[in-house]
Amino acid sequence: MKKKVLATLLATAMVAGCLAGCGNSNDGAASTPATEEAAPAEDAAPAEDAAPAEDAAPAEDTSSAADASDPIATLIANTSGTVALTVWASEEDQDLTTKLLDDFKATYPDVTFDITLGAESESTAKDTILTDVEAAADVFAFADDQINELVQAGALQEVAAHYTYDVAAENATGAVEAATVDGKLYAYPMTADNGYFMFYDSSVFTEDDVKSLEKMIEVADAAGKKIAMDISNGWYIYAFFQGAGLELTLNDDGMTNTCAWNAAGGTDVAQAIIDLTASNVFVDMGDEDMATQIAEGNVVACVNGTWRAETAQEAWGDNYAACKLPTFNAGGKDCQMSSYSGYKLVGVNPHSANLGWSMLLAEFLTNEAAQTARFDARGLGPANLAAASSDAVQSNPAIAALAAQAAYATPQRVGGNFWSPAETLGQILASGNPDGTDLQELLDTTVEGITAPVE
Amino acid sequence: MKKALNALENYFKNFGIAFVKGDIWVKLSAVLMGAGYFARKQVINGIIMCLVEVLFVVMCIGYAAPNLAKFGTLGTVQFEQVFDPLTMTSTVNDYDNSFLILLNSIISLFIIFVFIVFYISNMKAVYRLQQQKENGEHINTFREDVRTMFNEKFHITLLTLPAIGIVIMNILPILVLIAVAFTNYDQQHMPPNALFTWVGWSNFKNLFTSSVTVTFGYSFKKVLVWTLEWAVLATFTTYIGGILMAKFINDKKTKLPKLWRTLFIIAIAVPQFVTLLLVRNFFADNGIVNTFCNSIGFTDFLKNVGLVPSNLSYIPFLTNPGWAKVMIIIINIWIGIPYQMLVATGVLMNIPEDQIESARIDGANPLQIFIKITMPYVLFVTGPSLITDFVKNINNFNVIYLLTQDVFVTSDQLLANSNAKEVDLLVTWLFRLTNEYYNYKMASVIGIIVFIICAAFTLVTFTRTIKGDKEEEFQ
Repeated sequence: MKKKVLATLLATAMVAGCLAGCGNSNDGAASTPATEEAAPAEDAAPAEDAAPAEDAAPAEDTSSAADASDPIATLIANTSGTVALTVWASEEDQDLTTKLLDDFKATYPDVTFDITLGAESESTAKDTILTDVEAAADVFAFADDQINELVQAGALQEVAAHYTYDVAAENATGAVEAATVDGKLYAYPMTADNGYFMFYDSSVFTEDDVKSLEKMIEVADAAGKKIAMDISNGWYIYAFFQGAGLELTLNDDGMTNTCAWNAAGGTDVAQAIIDLTASNVFVDMGDEDMATQIAEGNVVACVNGTWRAETAQEAWGDNYAACKLPTFNAGGKDCQMSSYSGYKLVGVNPHSANLGWSMLLAEFLTNEAAQTARFDARGLGPANLAAASSDAVQSNPAIAALAAQAAYATPQRVGGNFWSPAETLGQILASGNPDGTDLQELLDTTVEGITAPVE
Repeated sequence: MKKALNALENYFKNFGIAFVKGDIWVKLSAVLMGAGYFARKQVINGIIMCLVEVLFVVMCIGYAAPNLAKFGTLGTVQFEQVFDPLTMTSTVNDYDNSFLILLNSIISLFIIFVFIVFYISNMKAVYRLQQQKENGEHINTFREDVRTMFNEKFHITLLTLPAIGIVIMNILPILVLIAVAFTNYDQQHMPPNALFTWVGWSNFKNLFTSSVTVTFGYSFKKVLVWTLEWAVLATFTTYIGGILMAKFINDKKTKLPKLWRTLFIIAIAVPQFVTLLLVRNFFADNGIVNTFCNSIGFTDFLKNVGLVPSNLSYIPFLTNPGWAKVMIIIINIWIGIPYQMLVATGVLMNIPEDQIESARIDGANPLQIFIKITMPYVLFVTGPSLITDFVKNINNFNVIYLLTQDVFVTSDQLLANSNAKEVDLLVTWLFRLTNEYYNYKMASVIGIIVFIICAAFTLVTFTRTIKGDKEEEFQ
């Protein structure tokens, strides 16, 4: 009997604990609105104070001197209590973003902010956001290839108006295009360096050598070194097919693809990739492997992006050089390798509770000063025209190479069904088509996968 | 089966009897649940029942009805948002969220089901009270009723909380998962911005049929075969390995048995995902193992033998389907044996010494003792855990995913077209479909299939191993 009493007590204690827990949280929830209700009464006075602060804040915005039609002044007047915002920036961008956030808070001294900074890589932002759009950050950075899916999932607030600078006019056309879906601007361009190009060690290659991939292979072979590219990756293998004029486009539905890789000339490109990799000088290698192989001195040239610039610079020192992608020979014809141009963008979550402040913060994180700071701190190429025209940016080899490649680059607009089949095609071709499948058949199956309907 | 049907029949029959034979108060209880109690002077019971009924009606009107009304379509009003650039705010219409409708509807249906059961048992209880009154038996006061909850019915009191936990944490999510398998919930239909709706059995059809573009059927077969191969191999290699290891360490001739045992347990102490990611890097195409094999000429030897394609300069440990499968099993042996060794050590220590002694006197050699006495005993004791291990291995996410993610690229185009890989287990395929492709509908279908496979296997083997009076043999 005693045991039973004890057990019951424990059980009731647990229930009571639960109830108490609930009670507390309810109290908490109930108390917040209460303070908010109290706040407007006090805020009536500061509303007028807001005007002078506003004058000091967005200096560019001289057209409207804090009259009633000024949205920022209205926003400040309408804001009561703490503005809670969540921002996601990549792991590498944390220090810089923290600094920019402090500056942002200082710009609006009359508003109390509670800004949480989370680490979320730009390349995987979509994965986290789409899991639960309503729970995602208010302001987040992402790579432009995800914009279609994000817009479709309703995870991006349209940039219907701008407040502190003209987003469309002050950024490079390509960047604005990359942030636009169906003629509507959906994000704020942050960097213009997310594409790929060629890094090389100038002690091995001359500037003439790097014009053609065949020549590069010849030179590297003589030196006993390797040239690396992540061929078994849809993002990179695109360079060959697009370069030969075989197009891959996204259909109007925004989900399915049209792909001409199996059209006439497709087998020549496939054969070219097999031939190029057969030498074992031009090798299929993932990004991480490439970093170690560059450091170890085995790889003397690679197709990669600005994120590997530091690795290459450390390994090759003064011999570090970068250029546009070379040409390759397909069916007796020299084709200039194409590429995906890439941009990093900042987006605002339409489900944000503080939409106005989120948009202002997104503008702040992408304005000229912020983009310049980002280049200074991390060497990331600015999308902002004024920031990009500075001498420091112009003399950066990686960014110069990107600019040279830009003529052959296309923005990345592709449906989700592209990646797996393209990756597998790259894998098969880079390993020399081990099963000896007919190349046309190989391409046909790939295209079937890429163009498969999305149910 | 027949028993269950009979029980069900009786259940409703008793309810009918209660209703037909009950007096006016019992009949009134069908409308006002507390009526029967008021008539027998159980006022508090009556009030509680009435309160439950009122709560239920309020729940129905306020919560269940609006959700269930949309349950058939899972919502029709699309999300719309209008942004006002001047006030920098946006207004959202009163939209339907398909997922919330589905979730709330299932919760509502569940509550309604529980209420019906409660309602039927209430009728029976009221009828029993009437009978007790007619027979002149003692009718409990409220206080006495409460007391029974701590004595005769104490199990009910104790089990309430865990039961609620199981319903909330297990049953409801599983019901939602099953429901999602019959909808088109995927990346194109993601709430809150888009609606999803019922599609019947078409997802299941997709899983079992292959067409040119939809290769789920082809992939499912391949992935299922490898899942089963893997589960069998992984379970038995670590099981046998663990027993042998325990046997060797326990052997009288082994020096410092405690040291060896501790060393193996350290392998468990390091979190698996750390070791697995490290191992993945060791065996990368340009990893440390490959560098080593290359420098001692082992890579060339394998090339000559034909195990490594001649155009590779490395051993494709984790990048070639065949190699990767073998490596995964070997690496799993390495991390799985210490666990099995611990289990086996305990079992081996409990083998009745007299049996082994007598066998030795009869002239059995160590191998015979191991096969005829030790193994049957160990098998009997660890049988159930062997089965759970097998099921666990069917769902062994860690080893496969951590070793091959970002490294392994399939060279089978048909697999690639449905986002599967040669080394995928059903569960890793499911994970990738949900996490990278948001194909929740197909993931749910695969989830259900995995559940069926695991449940069927467990049922069959458990009844087989536990059946009979084997326990006697070892007494």
